[in-house]
Amino acid sequence: MAFPLPRGITPPEISFLAEMEMVTILPRQRLEGLELLGGPVEPLIPPRRASLPLWLALLLKRQRRANILPPSWLHPESLSFILDIETQYEEYKDTFSPPPPLPGQPLLHDRGELAVATPRYTPDGEKYYAAPPFLPQNVARDHVPPQELQTLPFHWLEVGNMLLDAASDDLVEPDQTRRLLKELREVRMAKIRSGVDALDAAAMGGGGVALTGVGAIELGEGRRFISGVVDGLRRIGASREQARREELAEEMANGGYDATQDDDDEMEF
Amino acid sequence: MDIDDILASVDRHDPSTPESTALDHQLLTRFWVAERGVSELLPWPGPLMDRMMDRVRRQIETIEDLAATSADPTTTTPNPTTNLTLSILQTDLARTQYTLRSLLRQRLAKLTTHSMHYLLRISPGPLPPSQSQDRADIRPEDAIPALGTAGAHPPLSAPEVAFLHAHQRLLATHYGDAFLASFPPQLRRLDDNAGGTSMVQGPEGREVVFVRCLVEAVRVVVPPGDGVEAAVVGGTAMRMGDVWAVRWEGVRDAWGRGEVEVL
Repeated sequence: MAFPLPRGITPPEISFLAEMEMVTILPRQRLEGLELLGGPVEPLIPPRRASLPLWLALLLKRQRRANILPPSWLHPESLSFILDIETQYEEYKDTFSPPPPLPGQPLLHDRGELAVATPRYTPDGEKYYAAPPFLPQNVARDHVPPQELQTLPFHWLEVGNMLLDAASDDLVEPDQTRRLLKELREVRMAKIRSGVDALDAAAMGGGGVALTGVGAIELGEGRRFISGVVDGLRRIGASREQARREELAEEMANGGYDATQDDDDEMEF
Repeated sequence: MDIDDILASVDRHDPSTPESTALDHQLLTRFWVAERGVSELLPWPGPLMDRMMDRVRRQIETIEDLAATSADPTTTTPNPTTNLTLSILQTDLARTQYTLRSLLRQRLAKLTTHSMHYLLRISPGPLPPSQSQDRADIRPEDAIPALGTAGAHPPLSAPEVAFLHAHQRLLATHYGDAFLASFPPQLRRLDDNAGGTSMVQGPEGREVVFVRCLVEAVRVVVPPGDGVEAAVVGGTAMRMGDVWAVRWEGVRDAWGRGEVEVL
């Protein structure tokens, strides 16, 4: 056995990824800048704030060398606002609350604007678009623009729980925060379970099921179930799909097929 | 030359800069998650892995130098933060090594599961029709395709090619010795396709994966097959920031262009 783990990253690996999120700390001692394999770390000079990967911030916190400034979404007010969105709004009855926008993506309320993705280029000349955990979604900000709504980042549950475990004295009302995180988790779990009906769309070629706003660990928990259901449905529908493909091939041979017409419609979760 | 190429050549930087280190770390992490998530073997990212291995080697040297300095009693002014620095550097190194190890082992697991499939895929051409078909001494090893040249064959790296070949040879010899030698000669091959069903199984490209759309819009495609010659584009598009459960074959090309990431 070269590798015992199942396909798809497992929960321990997801928290490993979540530890790469950048957080803001307030150092208590000086430390010169370091060149790590994960990128450079700025010099720590108290009382100047610094952004570090979460694993390093936790290491310093456990040795009482720094305090962690919690991200703005991990505040009881923000969390209860998001919980309201998840539970009160008809619009979000079956879907998750929206995730933080990627760079270049318009904010939620100006939907009219178009998204513009600007790539960076890798040394091999390929395009690279940054995504979590490599976006500053968990850094503390002094000033949040009022038009920006509070959102749950991709690694919300992992970052929240790790901060509650290791740095609860740095958080505002840790008990309240813990309770709200638990409620959010339960509300969102129920949404995953109730969305099973929509999974049929992903079982057909060219179709898919939108899970936008889902968290990393929620995806990790639901992965086996969702992919199991979809693959089962695909096998059941395999002969039907093949028949449809053959029909399509015939139509194309007769020149009567319009490629944009397709009845696999998007289903919202 | 189009504008993207010009931008790329301007933006392409020296691999020794810290920004390039950070970018390579992100690329490696994303590639690791993708390799863990999809059923087939992804193309070996040669230049990226070379740069990573080189950095790991240099980082180990740095750590050893630092450890030697701190253990040296003759140094007059001991730096109070040396131990902390050392533990940070070692943790960082261990995290990177974990990612690399997990990636390589996942690739080996995929190779051993579908060894014949990958061997046939990297072999230069169809097998020469076997003359030993009627002879009594046909052996299971005969089914192993010969490799044209040594070195890397996409999507495998050179060491993976060597591993795969040695692995399959051992396996075929073992099967032969254990039970296939007592079968009738025509039943001994490992790549039999009697009755229109091939014994060689490949990974299932239709399995579902979870992806996030990173550009303005990506359409899920249905690749050619089942008599349809051209790829068919699905009806709906993923928008930027969307997370979807879709078939891997439907987004494989978009992944290659860096437009979606596997979660």
